[in-house]
Amino acid sequence: MDINFEPFVEWDNSPFVLFNNEGRILYLNHSAELLFGSVSPKELYDLTLAYASAGFGYKTTSLALSYDAFMFHAITVGYENEEEISLRLYHAPAVQPKSKLQTESLIVTDINVLLEANIALFQAENNNPLKLLTDQDLPLFKMDQNHFSKLLRKVFHSFRSSDSIDISLKLLIGQHILINNKKESLAGLKITANGRYVESDEEIKELAGKNQIKAILKEHSILLEIPLIQ
Amino acid sequence: MKYFYTKSEQIQSIIKGLNLTKTLFVSSIIIGPEYTGKKSLAQSIFPHAPMVSGEDQEKIKTALAGSDELIITNFEKIKNLNDLDFTNKRIIATANYMGNSALIDDIFAFIYTMPPLIQRKEDVDYLKERYIEEAKSILMIENSTIDTEHIPLDLSLNTKSLKRSVYTYLIKHTMEAGDIEEILYHYLLKHLEGNDAYRQYLGLYEKPLIKAGLEKFGSQLKLSEILGINRNTLRKKIHEHNIDQEL
Repeated sequence: MDINFEPFVEWDNSPFVLFNNEGRILYLNHSAELLFGSVSPKELYDLTLAYASAGFGYKTTSLALSYDAFMFHAITVGYENEEEISLRLYHAPAVQPKSKLQTESLIVTDINVLLEANIALFQAENNNPLKLLTDQDLPLFKMDQNHFSKLLRKVFHSFRSSDSIDISLKLLIGQHILINNKKESLAGLKITANGRYVESDEEIKELAGKNQIKAILKEHSILLEIPLIQ
Repeated sequence: MKYFYTKSEQIQSIIKGLNLTKTLFVSSIIIGPEYTGKKSLAQSIFPHAPMVSGEDQEKIKTALAGSDELIITNFEKIKNLNDLDFTNKRIIATANYMGNSALIDDIFAFIYTMPPLIQRKEDVDYLKERYIEEAKSILMIENSTIDTEHIPLDLSLNTKSLKRSVYTYLIKHTMEAGDIEEILYHYLLKHLEGNDAYRQYLGLYEKPLIKAGLEKFGSQLKLSEILGINRNTLRKKIHEHNIDQEL
């Protein structure tokens, strides 16, 4: 029986990459393509070599990996000859929020107003140049305005000594999140600069979690994936 | 509606931020030294919000129950914050100092710092002119020859001490001989006692007389002629009142 397994690998939710012995990519599936937005091929090739079995064969290792929003709990490295080696990464299950969001107490809000108020607060204390690119057509959505503003204050504060801060707010087309069994769209608020303070990162993550927001914190940027709760 | 005048960029950003939160249910606090205009600023932006002091916790609770919008002054004086629920309310608080910073950070979305007058030179110029006009009207001063350029301004207590500087300066510079006599009369009535009082209190008159004379006529020789006293007597009195060290 001759079965073509390639489409199954292609559309598997777990990233799969096949390297040659110089680290060049020979094949990658759809999920791995998305992953390469957050990690370099070199980094994954190094990981592959580090976790390869001593001789030909397949070896699965449990380990916690995270690249931006991608989180993995295990990898399988396999090779049957000296020319090719494969890496497969297994997604860690998404952590369910501890408490159910009480959407009834949330208030329908224009996020642009909150964002501008936070920029004014930031500018009252700092002279850093700011560039803002925002989508004025984002729909109004429900939020706890005080919690959300606090989160923005903390996020901006971490850029207090940065030069040329870029802020962009846009709809994340095609991305959704399930909240209380309802599919909600997502908006991305990204602040980028030449560097930032990290002492409030834990607090930012905690506040974001309370607002059902995913915070992706990097050395030069913070991305908030905000559910547009209707 | 009250208008809050300022040329300070920092305060203009605070005004912009507060204006944007007019339609939101968020908690904001303005922290800064006494008499810097925090309350006036909050009232100018939220003219219809009821205002209560942090000293009266019960009043705050009642106001919170009856209104979605509230100005709380002297926030640092609230004794039991856990007792108050600001959820989905528009709170504008003012405080003279931060107090418990972790708690402030937890409660307030917007934390603004009000700069003291000493950092707001243009605001000082504006307020000074306003207080001069106000003082002239209240004290019914019509004399326009007073030099208001060189009023020594005390900014240690912000608008309060600035206002006092302007008023006392204008009062001092519009007095007539009769007023000065009356002031001396009341002062002496209160303080006069001892066994060397004549010599002691004569200084109240002699010292300004000689100081002003020296400044006006330049030399001791000329002043002794104007005053019609011996040069040695004048020199002795200058020394006695330490005027030579002050000039």
